[in-house]
Formats: sequence, structure tokens, C-alpha cells
Amino acid sequence: MSLTRRNFLKTAGLTAGALGLGLQGLDFTSWAQEQQQAEVVKKPSLCNVCASHCGMWVYVKNDRIWKVTGHEENDRSQGRLCPRAHGGIDWVYDPYRLKRPLKRREDGDYAPVDWDQALDEIADKLREILEEEGPEKVFYAHNPRRTGVFYGNRLMHALNVSTICTHNAACNTARGRGFSATMGGVPSTDIANSRYLIFLGRNYGGGIRTSQLKALQAALRGETRIVCVDPRQNETAALADKWIPIQPGTDLALVLAMSQVIIKEGLYDEEFIEEYSVGFTDYAENLEDYTPEWAEELTDVPAETITTMARDLAAAAPASMVYPTWKGAFGCNYENSTETARAVACINALLGNINQQGGFFFYHGPETGSLDPEKHPAPSTPDTPRADGAGEKDEFPLATGHGLPHVLAERIREGRVKAGIVRHHNPVRNFPDYDHMKEGFGSLDLLVVCETQMSETAMVADYVLPECSFAEREEVIEARGGRRGTLAMRTRVIPKMYPHTRSYDEIVVELAERLGVGEYFNFSLDEANQAILEPYDISLEEFKEVGSMRVDLPQPEGVPEFNTPSGKFEFYSEEFERHGAPPVVGWIPPDTGLEFGKNEFRLVHGKEAFHSHTATANTPQLLQITKDYQTNRLWINADRAEELGLDDGDEVRISSEIYSDTTRVKLTQRIHPETVYYPSGYGNKTPHYRVAHKIDSLSPNDFVKYQKESIVGHAMVNEVIVTLEKA
Amino acid sequence: MSEKDKRTSRRDFLKKGAFLGTAAFLTGFGLQNLGINAENIDPDKRALLMDHSLCVECQACRLACQNENDFPYTIQSIKFKNRETGTYPEVDYHLSRWSCFHCSLAPCVEVCPVDAIYKSEQGMNTTAIEECVGCHQCVGACPYEVPQMQDEKMYKCNGCVHLLEQGKLPACVSTCPSYALDFGSQQEMAEKGAVRVEELKEKGEEAYLYGLEAQEGLGLLMVLRTSPDEFQLV
Repeated sequence: MSLTRRNFLKTAGLTAGALGLGLQGLDFTSWAQEQQQAEVVKKPSLCNVCASHCGMWVYVKNDRIWKVTGHEENDRSQGRLCPRAHGGIDWVYDPYRLKRPLKRREDGDYAPVDWDQALDEIADKLREILEEEGPEKVFYAHNPRRTGVFYGNRLMHALNVSTICTHNAACNTARGRGFSATMGGVPSTDIANSRYLIFLGRNYGGGIRTSQLKALQAALRGETRIVCVDPRQNETAALADKWIPIQPGTDLALVLAMSQVIIKEGLYDEEFIEEYSVGFTDYAENLEDYTPEWAEELTDVPAETITTMARDLAAAAPASMVYPTWKGAFGCNYENSTETARAVACINALLGNINQQGGFFFYHGPETGSLDPEKHPAPSTPDTPRADGAGEKDEFPLATGHGLPHVLAERIREGRVKAGIVRHHNPVRNFPDYDHMKEGFGSLDLLVVCETQMSETAMVADYVLPECSFAEREEVIEARGGRRGTLAMRTRVIPKMYPHTRSYDEIVVELAERLGVGEYFNFSLDEANQAILEPYDISLEEFKEVGSMRVDLPQPEGVPEFNTPSGKFEFYSEEFERHGAPPVVGWIPPDTGLEFGKNEFRLVHGKEAFHSHTATANTPQLLQITKDYQTNRLWINADRAEELGLDDGDEVRISSEIYSDTTRVKLTQRIHPETVYYPSGYGNKTPHYRVAHKIDSLSPNDFVKYQKESIVGHAMVNEVIVTLEKA
Repeated sequence: MSEKDKRTSRRDFLKKGAFLGTAAFLTGFGLQNLGINAENIDPDKRALLMDHSLCVECQACRLACQNENDFPYTIQSIKFKNRETGTYPEVDYHLSRWSCFHCSLAPCVEVCPVDAIYKSEQGMNTTAIEECVGCHQCVGACPYEVPQMQDEKMYKCNGCVHLLEQGKLPACVSTCPSYALDFGSQQEMAEKGAVRVEELKEKGEEAYLYGLEAQEGLGLLMVLRTSPDEFQLV
């Protein structure tokens, strides 16, 4: 047989092995042949690089991951994978992974400790705080996926802790609340069959969910006219029929004005309004002054364009939509983001596009079983107040259950919160105002971080508990709805690389036993998964072989009963009114206003397709793309740059009221003149991300001060003005 | 028939073809009907088709290629050139994939002194990296500046011939989340590319099919949204 380089490299630990054997005088060629002939095993898993958890096949040879491919029977991947899934292999083989439990010493450094010591000390301290200060002084924060919810929330419920936070207040809290207040939830979309589609800041090509890109290409190949509204010509806008640049923070004005045109010209779906909505009259009356001419002044979008967009939306209805976004232009960006979300929900109601081909859909979810409550009683829902004020009267009554980690940081500093557990989540880096978050989370009496890498949040923990990587652990089965449903799970594809790492379910169960609530965890992970699969004719062993499985579901038909207090679409929200928020949607300006001094710009950010949050700048393969294309630069309108005496690649000093840094600029015509843009995947402050530090970069979060939006309390991540000067 | 009538009839014909299904359409009609220069089409040659009206430049292809082939991550076996044209707000952004074009007339194969680059059965220009002596002759010979040297070895796209032999698609094609990549016979890809160019033109967009003339025909065909000249494509 010939020894090609390709086969050669696929052997595990070849260099070290070959050297060792060479010294013993063995025949290298026969050894290498033996290694090559090891079988390539294909095992199912779920990607862990973003929260979409695409199904994938992991190819393993000699217990080492070689490559990944998309799982065909999974709703998110549908046989394909985005770049991050491929690059995520680097995470597993990062030499600086956490390998032992760490405890912070008096001098601030960390010392390795054994698991029993770490868990005993954590349990003792946590029990002391729970007993002396109460469960309302304790929180849990994580990226909410199935295993973290099932095990983590169950532990918190057992301890009567209400404060369970996610990253959402720096992601899509406003979007979520705006849609739940009006149509009872965030719908799925059918863009492939849409005839007219407006994206507000949502960029399928940057914030990739693989299945959504499939729908985008169908739309691009088909009859869909796609309009992208964004201060920057993002990757989707570059392919779309039309890019409409907008003054950041004014999407609300655009949507209000389009709605006004649709109502004034009588282009809305009267039957939907009549039969399935409440509060239309109040809403319509409130819109009267929001003319396209009024909106042009605020948005920089010509009135004529606004009118045309409104008419085109209505003409294509119900196979048309203003896309419900994710983070995009109004997930958590501005003072007016919740109202922007509500306005977007309302204009879609005018189009009558709910459960209509080419519009929105509320799909069903797959049936799943659960543990026998007689044998495995679940703890009751906590009755203590939340530490972050989310959902609490006189605090943030309209905030969502995803909570407010940035508010927690303030309350920790005030001594009102004492202990927390953070898992696979990095609020210190990924919320605005680094010092605020770092000092906040660093001031807890007890912070426990469960991680695979030494993140910025782990850097301020009292104990860091090392998880094994996603490739080395099994997890709870996920069930997702849609036109077709999916059941999917992560299986163990390689043996544990470091003996002193543990999976999250193991950590939670160990802690629960030490905290005296082990009775709620009297089952194995396999038993929990067997229970989930109970309605299906497949054993857990068989399921672990396939990893992902499609499930046929009933199709949504007709207008559903909405999950709102009235059961109808709510143009008028009594709940908002009750809590002092506007009952019908109207204009609210961005907090920074819309006046700019000389050299002042709005700083916006967005995802690159090849990075996920701030976690992947530390992977060599993905960071190499940043280096090759020099994407760690500030986008600035070329004409404005000329005024400032800047050439492409020049260093510039960028300053806000709380922070100043330098970076290189990318000159382009693809951005609004009063806007600068920087990708959001960089600016790691942890020295343990050695790869990430090989480039100069910054994080847009550093420039944004700690602040809270008025309705739901989100972090307003784009409410910032920066000044630029040549460095 | 006037020039305009000819266009109309071709369009009607295309629509009908799409309606009847691509397979029937392709077997029933020839390349000439699509306005394609069929002179260089090699019936035994296979080809990639890259559709830049769908690509979001996510780089999944590059990563899948590196992993599949065990290339160092610093090797840009697939890269993208871009062009920005126009001024704000009427600005366009265009891409062109840049990887081995698998020329039918392949100077790299000709110049390699140790026959490390050879034509596969599928017409892909393939490298036996272990044979490469790092002489750089292919680098000088390539009209597209494709071969990349690292540690005295040359790396480039080999068309994933090892996967083709198993009846599988190249790694870049099977991962592409934008479905911008396709693979098949050179003739089939030329036809699909030409149909797509027509669709885009019907929408009033600029579109070109590149790769049927250069180097006696390429194994990487591209649907481009701006002239190949913009990218200095030979």
C-alpha cells in the first residue's frame, strides 16, 4: 500500500508515536500501516459552537476526530454544516482546555484541587448562603439548551432558587417580549415561499443557522423579492434584490410609517383584523401622524421608498413578511427595541400572514415522554423573588424569564446577591461594560463556573469546574418542532481526554447530593432519555446509533388561538398598560438621540459566519480566516474616512464615554455615513485564550455603558456614540 | 427571427424546461440552445459549479476542504476574491471563488518534474503531495496563482478525487450551507450554470458563466454577478 500524506496524518499522535517506536528499533512503516488500517468510525452528535445544535456525523479514527459532516435527519443541519462546526474540532484539542477543578487562592491565582474538595466546599458555602441569606440571593446563568435546562433548572427548583438567567438580555429579549405581547410567541417563517420579504438587520449569511440558509437560497432562486434594511450592506443584503441603508435605531419609525400607509390605503387583511385581533382601532388612530415623510427625517430612507415597500408588502400578502429577526435590528439593541418588535408583529398582522404559505407559522412540537413522577418526583416551582427583578412588580414586570444578568452585576456590587453558578455562558465578556460585569460577578461570595475553557467569566470565579468537551459526553435528548419535528442527542464520540473532567449532569447530581436534594436526581441520564423516547418505537441504544431522527407532525391550519390573554392578536396590550408601558405601539427615539457632532458615529456590530460569540477567536482554524481577510477592522464609509484623513488599513482611535482603543479601518461604500461597524466575535480579555491574542482586536461591548431599557430591561447593546480620530 | 424574438423564445423554452424537470430538459436539448460554447466540453470531465448569486462567503467550503484533506489550516485551498463597485447607497459587492480551476490544458501537470500533479480519471488535476519536491515550478506555471507552498510541499484543491471514487461529492459541495456549489459532469454543470445565468438576467441582473473557454475548459465553472474581467480571470 502507498503511504499518502492524507492517510498518514489521520493517525493519532503520529509524531510522538513514531519517535517512540523508532527509538525501540521497530519498523516504522509497518507501525504506520497498522495505524492507517484502524477503522474510521462515524458517530452522531450535535454541534456545540452555536446554540442551534445542528446534527452532525463525527468521523473518528484511532479515537481522534478527523472531520464532521452534516446529519441528514436533523432539522437544523439537513445534511450541511456551517464553517463553525468544522472549526469547532479545535475546541476539543485546545491544549489550554480546563483539565482539573480550580480554586481561587487569596492572591487571586488559581490552584488545582480535587473534585471532592471542590464540591464539598462549594456545597458548604452554598448551603450557608441559602440558609442564612435565602434562595433569593442565589442565581444560575447559562445558555439555555436541553441538558442545562433539565439538570440545572431542576437543581435550582430543588433549592427554591427563582433566578435563572440566560444570555437573552444581550440577544433577543426585546424581540421575544414584543412578539409574545402581540401574537403570543415568536413564529417560524416560510421565506422560501414568500413573495416579498423585508429583513430588518437580520443577516442569515452572518448569524448562520444552516437550515435558514437553505430557505434563503430557495428564496433567492425563486420568486421572492428580498429587501434588506441595515446600516451596513451585510452578506445577505449583498445578494438581495435591494439594500436599504437606515440610520441605526430608527427601524421603528420605518415600520410605523409602512403600517400607516397600509392602513391609510386600506390594504390590510380586514378579515384577520375583524376575526382574530383586539385593539385595532386604538392602534390605527395612534399611527396617523407616522407618515413616510415623518419617517424619512428619522431613518434617512426616502418617503417614496417607504410607501413603495408598504404597498409591495401588501400586494404580496399573505405571502409576505417583515421578518421577526433574531438579534438583528431590535433583539436587545435600543431603548425602542421592544416597541420595534411589537410594531413588526403588528405590521405582519395587517398582512394576515399567520399560518399562511410564505408567511409566519406556529408549528407543533414532537411528543416526548417524561420520568415517572411517582418514582422520580420533580421539585416544585420556586416561590422566592428573583434577584434580578425580572417579572417582579415595581422592578422589571415585563422582563422575560430569561432574566437580566447585567442587572445582577449591579445588585451583586450592592451586596444584594451572594452566589451563582454559571455554565457554558460568558456574561462578563458578552454583555456591555466589561468593568461593570467583571466587578459585579467578581464580587460574589461564591461564583462557580462550569466550562471547558478559561473564559472571562471563569477568570473571576471562586471555583472553576472543568467539563469534558461536547465530543466526550452524552446529553439529554432535544425535541424540536417545525413542519417536521426532530429528536436529537449528543453521543460520546471519543473517550474522555482528561480524566479529571466531568459532564454537567454528573456535576449537578454530585452537587445535589451534597446539598441534601439528591432525592430529585434518583435516575441516570439513560433513564431520563429512555423516558423521553417512550412514545416512539425506538430503543435508546438504537437512538444513540442514529443521533437524530425526524418526526412527522400535524400541520398548522388556519389562524391559531394566540397565546395571549385574549387568545387573539393584541394590537392593544392591557398587560403593557397595567405596568406603565404604552398599550399601543408608538415612536420612541433611541436613547442617544439622533444628533451627531463632528467625528461622531454610531457603533453597530454583527456576527461573522465563521465566529460564534467571543468563543471561537481562540480556535486557530477559524481565526486564520480573520487573519487572511483582515476582518478585525472597523468598517467606515469611505467618504467619511476621507474627511478624517484615513486610508484603508490606517489606525484609528475609537472612543466612547467609557472606553477608548485603537483599531485599523476598512474603507467601504457599503455602510451608512454616520455608522461604523465592528464584528462582534473578538476582544477576548482572558489571557488563557492564547490564539485569540495573536491578532489585535476589540469588542464593541467595551464601548457601551451599563444601561437598562425601560420596558423589559435589556442591555441596549447598540446605544452608544463613538468618536474617531486618526491614531 | 429578430434578436429580441430569439431571446424571448429561449426564455420560454427555459421556463418550459424547468417545468418539465431538469433531467428531461437536459437530455432533450443541447448546449447550443443555451448559447453555450460547447467546443471545449469534455464528456469524460467532471466539474464543480460555483454560483456566486447564492454564496454568503461563510468559508464552510474552505474548512471542510482543509479537514477532509488534512491540509494545514494556513493553506487557503479555497479563497475568495471580492470587488466592491458603485458608491453609497448604490453599491454592489461581488465574489469569485479562487481554487484550482482544474484546467483541461493544465500547465502545472506539464511542468511538474516528478509527476506529482496528474490528471485523475475524472479530469481533476490531482496532487500526490508525498511526491512533491517543492520545486515551485507549478507556482510559476499556473495562470491563476493557485498552488500554495508550505514547508516545501504544494497544496491545492484536488477535487476530492478520493471521495469521487467512493461515489461521494467533494467536501466543499456536501457542506455548503448556501447550496451554492454543485458537482457533476462538465456538460451538466455548464447547462445548469447557463440556466442560472438566464434566470438572473431575466430578473434584470448582470450574470456570466465562466470557465468554458479558458485553458480549453475548466473543471471549476462559476456563475458570476460581474464580468470575469473584474477579477482578472483569464
